[in-house]
Amino acid sequence: MIEVKNISKHYQAGGQAVHAVNDANLHIERGEFLSIVGHSGSGKTTLLSLMGGLTRPDSGTVVIDGVDLWSISDDELSGFRNRKINFIYQFASLIPTLTALENVMLPSAFGKWTGDTEQRARELLGLVGLSDKLNSYPSELSGGQQRRVAIARAFINEPEVVLADEPTGDLDEDTEAEIFNLFRRFNEEKKLTFVLVTHSRELAAKTRRQVRMTHGVLTEN
Amino acid sequence: MGISLFGIAERNLRRKYFRSIAIALSVAVVAGTLFSVTTVMESVELSLKRGTARLGADLMVVPAEYEQKARAALLAGEPTTFFMSGDLLRRVRNVKGVKTAAPQLFLQSASYACCDVAEARLIGFDPEVDFTIAPWVKQRLDRPLGPKEILIGREVTYDVGGVMTFYGQEFTIAGYLELTGMRFLDNSIFMPLDTARRMIRESASKAKQTLTVSEDQISTILVQIDPKYSPEQVAIYIEHDIDGVKAVVSEQVISSVRKQLFVLLRSILVVSVILWVMALLMIGVIFSMIVNERQREVGLLRAMGARRRAVFGLIMYEASTLSIIGGLIGIAIGGGSLYALRNVIRTSLNVPYLWPEADQFLVIIVLCLFLAFLTGVVAALYPAFRSSRMEPYAAIRKGE
Repeated sequence: MIEVKNISKHYQAGGQAVHAVNDANLHIERGEFLSIVGHSGSGKTTLLSLMGGLTRPDSGTVVIDGVDLWSISDDELSGFRNRKINFIYQFASLIPTLTALENVMLPSAFGKWTGDTEQRARELLGLVGLSDKLNSYPSELSGGQQRRVAIARAFINEPEVVLADEPTGDLDEDTEAEIFNLFRRFNEEKKLTFVLVTHSRELAAKTRRQVRMTHGVLTEN
Repeated sequence: MGISLFGIAERNLRRKYFRSIAIALSVAVVAGTLFSVTTVMESVELSLKRGTARLGADLMVVPAEYEQKARAALLAGEPTTFFMSGDLLRRVRNVKGVKTAAPQLFLQSASYACCDVAEARLIGFDPEVDFTIAPWVKQRLDRPLGPKEILIGREVTYDVGGVMTFYGQEFTIAGYLELTGMRFLDNSIFMPLDTARRMIRESASKAKQTLTVSEDQISTILVQIDPKYSPEQVAIYIEHDIDGVKAVVSEQVISSVRKQLFVLLRSILVVSVILWVMALLMIGVIFSMIVNERQREVGLLRAMGARRRAVFGLIMYEASTLSIIGGLIGIAIGGGSLYALRNVIRTSLNVPYLWPEADQFLVIIVLCLFLAFLTGVVAALYPAFRSSRMEPYAAIRKGE
């Protein structure tokens, strides 16, 4: 499903070259639930962005479902992301001028979708326990509620791959467990491939496979 | 039902209404100023054209010492009377290049009980030779004016068929002339020369104030020239052949007004251009700030699958919508102000003033709206382009 081959990425920070990802290789099967663990600044988020086609690697390839992400045009890559991949970020990622419901429906603005998007958005918000907040703006929601809206949005396009960067960071233990169970349910029922970046060993232990990132170097646990 | 790209833009504009209002208002100032200046210019131009067409004369011969008064009367409709010998008519007709010459006599109504309208200009014309008023009478009235009949300018507030009293005599209004914007024509009362002379003669017995104008006096001679000559040439011939007269060229009157107005309007136009450049820079800076502030948002949209042109379109749609709204507000305020201040403008400019025709208005509105649209589009072009070209991950991180 996902084939990362010899991928590297470095950037300049404070006049120095930082090797965020150094010659990483990773093979992920369809329907796998994998976690990437490591300390802050170890390159986990950069690796996730490379895998999602958000940033171009300095070298190496990322192939998803037989498509080499960096061999297609920017328009094709955008369409590919819209259909197959979705992201959950570690920061507030809602559009402040849209309601919770509109934020969940947002990806539908960028592709040709069939079905009742609004109905599906309502259902997803129900799944994350926000049925009563459909018309609330992000400024009217707590940090945890905003995170749950972002999680609901990640499933609106029924993606094949979800790339989640510290998705339960702001949530309390109970909500974290609820959300993790939701991830596992989608993973099992829909054979959705799940890549979870976390620094929590406990959370990582709940996934079937773990890899470790240390100073840009990826190793199997 | 999902959400569209334009839906996102519209919600952005509505939710960030202070910012939206600020941008729309800065465009409104530019569009409003431009609309007002252009409309005033068009109004004056139209009035001059229509007024001189109605006058129909290439030259206007007046007593030399009254040239300035004649110009002021023609342009601003300032009430004034001046007289010269009627004998000059024959001499003007004999000047080289003169095709037709027709006399007119200007009288002033008095503010006494004798007259219904105080300080109105009464113009006597010769139906046999006149080429300004007489053709209208022939075409629209289809009969000569009777000895007790008059015509009125469009701004004289009387109805056709009504009766007006001047110097103790009653006159029936047979019709009115179309609006020209020139007060000289719009506020005047026209009667055949014979009627005017009879009124003068009988004023001694019928009116409380006697008119003291001798039988052979006239005020001006309107001249149509032979097309083989230029008005300027014939004016020189007339002034050379006849002492004590001045031949005012109609076109020169228009161009002198244009020159006067040009200085004023050029200053306003310079201010408009400065305003436009300032608005362009301001909106450009605002959009750069907006785009910077929304960089993470743009990165998130790109990560969700928004193509570069969608991001570009989103920003441009917001900019052009605000510009057009601003343009409409500016035009509405400009138009409303022009209408409310029409009398002040007319008085302060001291020139003929007539609203442009509907089609001209439409052209001005479309042009101003286009300029307003252009302002927003040009100002937002670079920020939108820069934003759409940014790599999604870099955009997301820039917003951190």
